[in-house]
Amino acid sequence: MPYLEVRAIRKTYPGGVLANDDIHFNVEAGEIHGLVGENGAGKSTLMKILYGMEQPDSGEIWLGGQRAHIAHPQAAIQLGIGMVHQHFQLVPTLTVAENIALGRETRRGLFADRGVMRERVRALSDQFGLHVNPDALASDLSVGLQQRVEILKMLYRNARLLILDEPSAVLTPQEVVSLFEVLRRLVAEGCTAIFITHKLDEIMTLCDRATVLRRGQVVGTVETARVTPAEIARLMVGHELEPPLARKASAAESRDRLIVRDLQTGDARLQNTTVNFSVKSGEILGIAGVEGNGQTGLVEALIGLRPDAKGDILLDGTNLHGLSTRDRRKRGLALIPEDRNREGLSRPMRIWENLASGEYDRSPLNTGGVLRLERMRTAARALMERFDIRAPNEGVAVSTLSGGNAQKVVIARELATPPAVLIASQPTRGLDIGATGFVHEQLLNLREQGCGVLLISADLDELLALSDRIAVLFEGRILRIFPREEATREQIGLAMAGKVESEQAR
Amino acid sequence: MKTSFVASFSRTLVTVLLALLVGGLIMQLSGKDAMGAYQVLWNSAVGSPRALANTLLAATPLIFTGLATLIAFKAGIFNVGVEGSLYVGAFAAAWVGFTFVDMPGILLIPLAFFAGGLVGGLWGLIPGYLKARLRVDEIVTTIMLNYVAILFTNYLVTGPFFVPGMANAMSAEVAPQAQLPRLMERSQLNISFLLALVVLALVAFLLRRTALGYEIQTLGTNATFARWMGMPVARTILLVMFLSGLIGGLAGAGQALGVHYRFVGGFSQGLGFDGIVITLLGRNTPGGVLLASLFLGALRSGASTMEMFTQIPRDLIDIVTALLIFFVAVEVTVPKVWKYWRGGSKTQMAASGSER
Repeated sequence: MPYLEVRAIRKTYPGGVLANDDIHFNVEAGEIHGLVGENGAGKSTLMKILYGMEQPDSGEIWLGGQRAHIAHPQAAIQLGIGMVHQHFQLVPTLTVAENIALGRETRRGLFADRGVMRERVRALSDQFGLHVNPDALASDLSVGLQQRVEILKMLYRNARLLILDEPSAVLTPQEVVSLFEVLRRLVAEGCTAIFITHKLDEIMTLCDRATVLRRGQVVGTVETARVTPAEIARLMVGHELEPPLARKASAAESRDRLIVRDLQTGDARLQNTTVNFSVKSGEILGIAGVEGNGQTGLVEALIGLRPDAKGDILLDGTNLHGLSTRDRRKRGLALIPEDRNREGLSRPMRIWENLASGEYDRSPLNTGGVLRLERMRTAARALMERFDIRAPNEGVAVSTLSGGNAQKVVIARELATPPAVLIASQPTRGLDIGATGFVHEQLLNLREQGCGVLLISADLDELLALSDRIAVLFEGRILRIFPREEATREQIGLAMAGKVESEQAR
Repeated sequence: MKTSFVASFSRTLVTVLLALLVGGLIMQLSGKDAMGAYQVLWNSAVGSPRALANTLLAATPLIFTGLATLIAFKAGIFNVGVEGSLYVGAFAAAWVGFTFVDMPGILLIPLAFFAGGLVGGLWGLIPGYLKARLRVDEIVTTIMLNYVAILFTNYLVTGPFFVPGMANAMSAEVAPQAQLPRLMERSQLNISFLLALVVLALVAFLLRRTALGYEIQTLGTNATFARWMGMPVARTILLVMFLSGLIGGLAGAGQALGVHYRFVGGFSQGLGFDGIVITLLGRNTPGGVLLASLFLGALRSGASTMEMFTQIPRDLIDIVTALLIFFVAVEVTVPKVWKYWRGGSKTQMAASGSER
C-alpha cells in the first residue's frame, strides 16, 4: 500500500484555468519521488493542495491508508506533511534553534525554555546528519545552511513526508550535492520526500521514481533507472527536445562595446569592491554567481539607477557616468530586467502601451508631446508578429499573458531597434522550455549581429551553453573570468563559493 | 484591466441605490416619510430648469476638485491637498478681482482665473517637491498644508486685507466686471461651469493622448517600472502636483468670482475633500467624475429645498454621502476580504503570487 495516494485531484482557478486535471499518483514510504513538469504544468498547485494551501474542487488524498482532509497548513503539519519553500522564511536576528522552534516553543512557565529547544534541534541535526549549529544566527548562514534550517523546522514538527519546492534553484553545484546527501540520509532515517524540479539530471541522480506533469495532467510515472533523460523530457514537453543551440562564429572584427572600469555600485554591504570587465562586439559575457553577490547592484549601476555608483562605464567609447537611465538607453543600452513584472512591465497596461514605453517620448510615436496612438498600435502589431507574442490582440493587458509571452513583450521592446549592448538579467527565469529556447535564440542572434551581450544568470547550464566567456561574481567583485574552453561546472562552482586557485582575476 | 463601461456603471448604480435605500431606512426609522422626501429631493434637483441650473451650479466645484484628485490618483499620488489649493486659489483670484478694478472684464476674469490656478498649482508644488526630491509621504504633507492654507487665508482677510466694518472674515467685493456672467436668470449658475467642462476635456485628452499622460499612467500603475525605463519620474510628480493644485485653484477661483464675489474665510466646507469621493465614485475616469459630480450636485442642491418643504434636515444628504463612501469602500474591499477568508489562511495570500 502506498504511503501517499492522490486520487483524481482536480482544481480550477477562478478565470477558468484548469491547473490540475484528474491527477493520480502515489508515493511509497521511504521514497524520494520526483515531480517534474514545465512551468505552469500544475506542480505548485498540486503541492499547495497537499500542504493545505489550496482546496481541490474534487478528488481524494490518502495518507498511510486513511483518507486525509487537509484544510490548512496546520492540518498538513499534524498529518506529518512538511513543506520546504523555495524562498526561506527565517528571522535573521534569531538563532537557528529559535527559528526552528518559533511558534512551537517549549515553555517553562511564561518563558520559552531555550535549553530544551536547543537540545532537540541538536539531536535532530545529528540524527539526520544536517550539521547545523543551533546557536548560530540565521543571518550568518549561507543559503545552503538556511535551507537545512528550513528542513529542520519541518522535522522539528515531526514531518515524515517532506515536500521540497525546487530546492536546488538557489544553490551552488556543490551545495546541491550536499543537499542530495541530506535527502538520502533523511530517507534512510524513515522519511519520505517529494522533490519538485524541472531539472532532469537532478531527477535522474536523486529520485527513485518521478511523476511527470504536463498542462495539469499526469503524463506518466517513471522509474528513473529504466528511462533516459530524453524520454522524461519528451514526456514533459510532448515532443523531442530541440538539439543544442548552434553557435555560429560571430563577426570577425571585435571591438569593445562595453567597458566597465573600477565600478563601485554603492552597495553598503559590498563596499570597497570594484568590478572590472569588458564585453566585445559579437560576444556573450556570462556572469555566474550565487544570488546576492552583487548582481542587482551591478545591473542597477549599469542602467543608471544607482546615483552613488562610482567608476567608468564606457559604451562604444562614451562614458555613461552621470547620465540618466533614459540617456543611457538612448545611447544603445538595452535591458531585460530580472523581475519582469516589477521592473520590466506595467501589468495593468496594454501590450501596445508596454511596447511603446521605450520610444513614446520621440518621433514617430510622439509629435510635440501628443501620442500617435494609431502608430503605436501598428508598431506593436508588427512587433507581436516579429517576436511571436501570442495574445488575442495588442489591446489586452499584459497581466493576462503567460510568463513566456510577457517576457517576449519585454524582449520585443528592448530589441525593437538593435541595441549596442544588451544586459539580460535572469532572462529565462520562470519560463518553460519553449520560451527559454526563444530567449536563447534571440541572445545568439544579437551576438551574431555584433551586439555585446551581458548575460547574468543563476542557471549554469544556460551560461555554459551561451557564453563566450564566463565571469564569476563573488561578494561584489569578479573573482575570475573563464574563457569558454576552460569553463567547467566544477571550476565555476568552486569560484561561486569563493574558492579560487591562486590565479588572480583577469 | 479594462472592465467594461457597462459593468462598472451598473456596479456604481447599485452602490448609489444602496446608499439611497439605507438613507431612506434611516429616515423611516426616525419617523419621517422617506418616499416623500426623495420625491421633493428629485423635484428640487432636476424638476425645473432653475432646479437643474442649481444642480449644475453645485456640481461645478465638484467637477474641478474631482479632476484635481483624479489626475493625482492616476499617477499613484494620493493628493489630499486639493482643499488647500482651492483656498489659496480662491484668495488669489479674489485679490486680482478687487485690486485691478480698472481693468475690463474680458481681461480681468482670465487674469483672476490665471492667478487662482497659478497660486493653487504652486501650493501643490510644495508637497510635490517634498515627494519628488525627498520622498516625503504626500498624504501627511498635503493634509497638514490644508490647515496652513485655510488658516493663512483666514488671517489674510482678518489682518492685511481686513475690510473695516465687515463683521465676518471676508475680503472686499470684487469689481463688478470680475463677477462671472451668469448663464441663466434667477440662478447663480455661471461660466465657471463651462470652464469646468473645458478642463474636463483637457484632462481627458492629457491622460489619454499625451506623453505626459502616458508617464502618469505608467507611474501610477508601476512606479518601479517607470524608473527602470528611464521615465522622468521626479518631473512627472512635480507636474502632476502642479496641475492638480492648479485645477484645485480654479475651483476656488470659480467659487470666489462666481458665487461669493469675494473671498470668504472658511467658505469651502470640504469641497476639496469631496473630490476624493467624486473620483472614487467616478471610478477614476474623467467621464465618471462628471457623472458623480452631477449626482452629488443634485443631492446637495435638492437638499436645501427638501429641508424647507419637509421635516428632514439637510444633514441627511451628508448621511447619504457618507453611505456612498462606505459602499464604494466596501465594494473595493469586500472581494479581497472574501477571498482571504475563503482561503482560510494567510499562506494563500502570501503564495498567491507564485506559479500555479
